[in-house]
Amino acid sequence: MLAENLAYALTQVLHNFGAVVVVGSAAFALWAPALPPGPEKRLARLAGFGWVVQIASGAGISAIGYYYYSRFPEIHGVAAAAFAIKVTCATAGLALALLLQLRGDRWSETRRRLCWRALAVLAATALAAAAFLRWFS
Amino acid sequence: MHRLWRVLLCVLTLSLPLAAAPAVEGYVKIMAPTDGARLERRKPTTLIYEVNPGPRGEHVHVYVDGKEVGILRQLKGSYTLKALSPGRRTVCVKVVNRAHVPIGVEQCIKVTVE
Repeated sequence: MLAENLAYALTQVLHNFGAVVVVGSAAFALWAPALPPGPEKRLARLAGFGWVVQIASGAGISAIGYYYYSRFPEIHGVAAAAFAIKVTCATAGLALALLLQLRGDRWSETRRRLCWRALAVLAATALAAAAFLRWFS
Repeated sequence: MHRLWRVLLCVLTLSLPLAAAPAVEGYVKIMAPTDGARLERRKPTTLIYEVNPGPRGEHVHVYVDGKEVGILRQLKGSYTLKALSPGRRTVCVKVVNRAHVPIGVEQCIKVTVE
């Protein structure tokens, strides 16, 4: 019981900090003065890392349930829709962060800014969906 | 940062095998309808239940033919099932944990809707 709760709690800690990173990195990129290419690339790497943490810890929460009970979480309705939105945001967020990191230096500033704006919207949407997932299930 | 990440992963990994086979505790009792009951179609059915979630359970899900139809937060009470379609139906009440994983504490009944 203690081990199960510890596993859930630690995974939740990672998930929460992952959320901070994806929202914070995009917010910083948008509100800070124009960043030089090097730091912006590092920020994109941080955003990508945040999304990886989100995906891994989200999957981890399901995996813990499967490990202990050989079953996955069972959700439906609004909660299932919120979960689908979170997964979509995480996948798109990771893809955009990777693109920004790998090809960002070849993009115009307008395009990079658009990318950060999209990352901010994806992060905020995922965070909002998390609240619906929590309270509609 | 990397060290913290490793420490968290180690603690998480080491904590998993400590309680691999949970003892099933708690119970679910479906008082109504009874197993094998014949129900009228187009008439809502009142499900009367009592649950002890045990130390691992948190709340309860209701299923009809494997499809989740409701969430119960009270451990004892009733829940109105919408009119069921004709045929043999399986109604289940399952205790789940905070992550909505069924923990194995459950009861299912079969009813016939005519």
